[in-house]
Amino acid sequence: MITAASCARCLARPNLIIHLALNFEGIAMDTAIEVDDLVVERGKHPVLHGISTRIQRGVITGLLGPSGSGKTTLMRAIVGSQVVKAGDVRVFGYPAGSASLRHRVGYVTQSPSVYGDLTVGENVRYFASLYKYGATEAAAAIANVGLDGHEDQMVSTLSGGQRARASLACALVGQPDILVLDEPTVGLDPVLREELWRQFRALAEAGTTLLVSSHVMDEANRCDRLILIREGSVIADDAPGAIKTAADADDMDKAFLTLISAQGEKG
Amino acid sequence: MDQTLNSPHPTGSPARSDAPAQSASAALARSTRAELFRLSRWPVLWVLVGVWLVLNLLFAYVFSYLAYRSGSGAFGTADVAPDRLLADLAPEAIPRLLTNGMPMFGGAIMLILGALATGSGYGWGTWKTAALQGPGRPATMGGTLLSLAVVVVGVVAATFVTDLGSAVLISSVESQTLAWPELADTARALGGSLLIFAMWTAAGAMIGVVTRSPAVGVGLGLVWALAVENLLRGVAGVLDGLEYVTDLLPGTAAGSMAGALGGMDTADGDGAPGVLTVLDGGPAALLLAGYAVVAAVVTVALASRRDVE
Repeated sequence: MITAASCARCLARPNLIIHLALNFEGIAMDTAIEVDDLVVERGKHPVLHGISTRIQRGVITGLLGPSGSGKTTLMRAIVGSQVVKAGDVRVFGYPAGSASLRHRVGYVTQSPSVYGDLTVGENVRYFASLYKYGATEAAAAIANVGLDGHEDQMVSTLSGGQRARASLACALVGQPDILVLDEPTVGLDPVLREELWRQFRALAEAGTTLLVSSHVMDEANRCDRLILIREGSVIADDAPGAIKTAADADDMDKAFLTLISAQGEKG
Repeated sequence: MDQTLNSPHPTGSPARSDAPAQSASAALARSTRAELFRLSRWPVLWVLVGVWLVLNLLFAYVFSYLAYRSGSGAFGTADVAPDRLLADLAPEAIPRLLTNGMPMFGGAIMLILGALATGSGYGWGTWKTAALQGPGRPATMGGTLLSLAVVVVGVVAATFVTDLGSAVLISSVESQTLAWPELADTARALGGSLLIFAMWTAAGAMIGVVTRSPAVGVGLGLVWALAVENLLRGVAGVLDGLEYVTDLLPGTAAGSMAGALGGMDTADGDGAPGVLTVLDGGPAALLLAGYAVVAAVVTVALASRRDVE
């Protein structure tokens, strides 16, 4: 982080207010999410053991690890729905869950969050109304997830993949700056998975920060950056290529196993 | 699927700043609009309202009119003279009869509506999204309650119009002089109806949030409204002192409101189920308003404070 002593802009203009404003801008421009020494317990069982990481703005960060490794807990802490025991989670410089972040952070849970007894269009219109948007934005969100033509279809009659995309549309219609997606491709066929990842890339290129969890290692190469997590601890936090190089592995599965072995030897 | 975003406002622009914190009233208004949109498109709402209106029409007018025409004793009318039966079907009698079906089965239907309106958000998993990304938990749940209040007003208005239309039709068919109800009596009946339905709807909404499940909420609410209260009133007949408690129960207040407006107690032999003469109108109204407010406050407080799974 830039300090008062090292900040050239502040040295040129020694004004505390300007310094703070410029520093804040520096954080906002580069880092979307800051997690420091995060400890979470659920039912008195430690789930996250002092995790620290930075998630950059406008990129796709993959959160990978086996089931039960703490991915969802970390995501819940970032969106502000998780009680934390210790540590600090900040999003755009604000404490996670702050009221000012509500419209800026979209969260798509593993199981779709849509009313089954309403149509796709009605679901997205409902959430659009909550976020102060209207029918135009709802139609755009539906089109963005490839459900145009299904607006009048009852959600309960959709396939699992379509339901997941309807849920994504409900998050997208709020036009969040950060999109937190918990295993969004689970149960989807390869074609749909490919389409969704293309959509994620388009969102990132438009400036949205994406944090996508998965336990499927072959999705790692689609991310700009990876956080590998196991048993509540980060075992790697870098670009996919760098992680494979560091582990001297051809694919992410091998890299993950190598990193686990190395961690075990250290321990 | 398009690779290009169609969003008219691309997200994540570094220039995008926090929207100014909106006032609580603006947040509540926005949430209420969203919830009204949801409820208006919700098939369950129309089914429940339709069932209530049909039941009200059948039990308040159709069966009584058939009994009058056939001269036979039908549902709850066995010992009623034909002249009185016809008088009860006239527009003039609406203030007395409007609330007759509300304490028991009307209230049960509104309780189901309230429990489903809040419980379904937990059941479908939408509440967590609305709570995290919407205009704030108190505003979001407050909007649900306000939209339910609008529904209650609509249902009472629809009930009144249905009753009035039926009464006018029957009077016309029977060549009776149309005798309109007193305005003050009508206003009291409408107010009593609003209180009864508001109380049961708010109670249902509270149970939906407490149980975080539409099915459990509906089940528990119905068991309470249709069985437990009646059983407690029965026990109060043999246990001294228990009537001080049963006299203050929600069902007692709702039944007493209907009784105070002129509905006949079942103890009179020809009254509607749930109508009571335990409390006067004033205390019954205060109790109903109190229960509705407490249920609304508990609903918002619980939804705001509990962890979102």
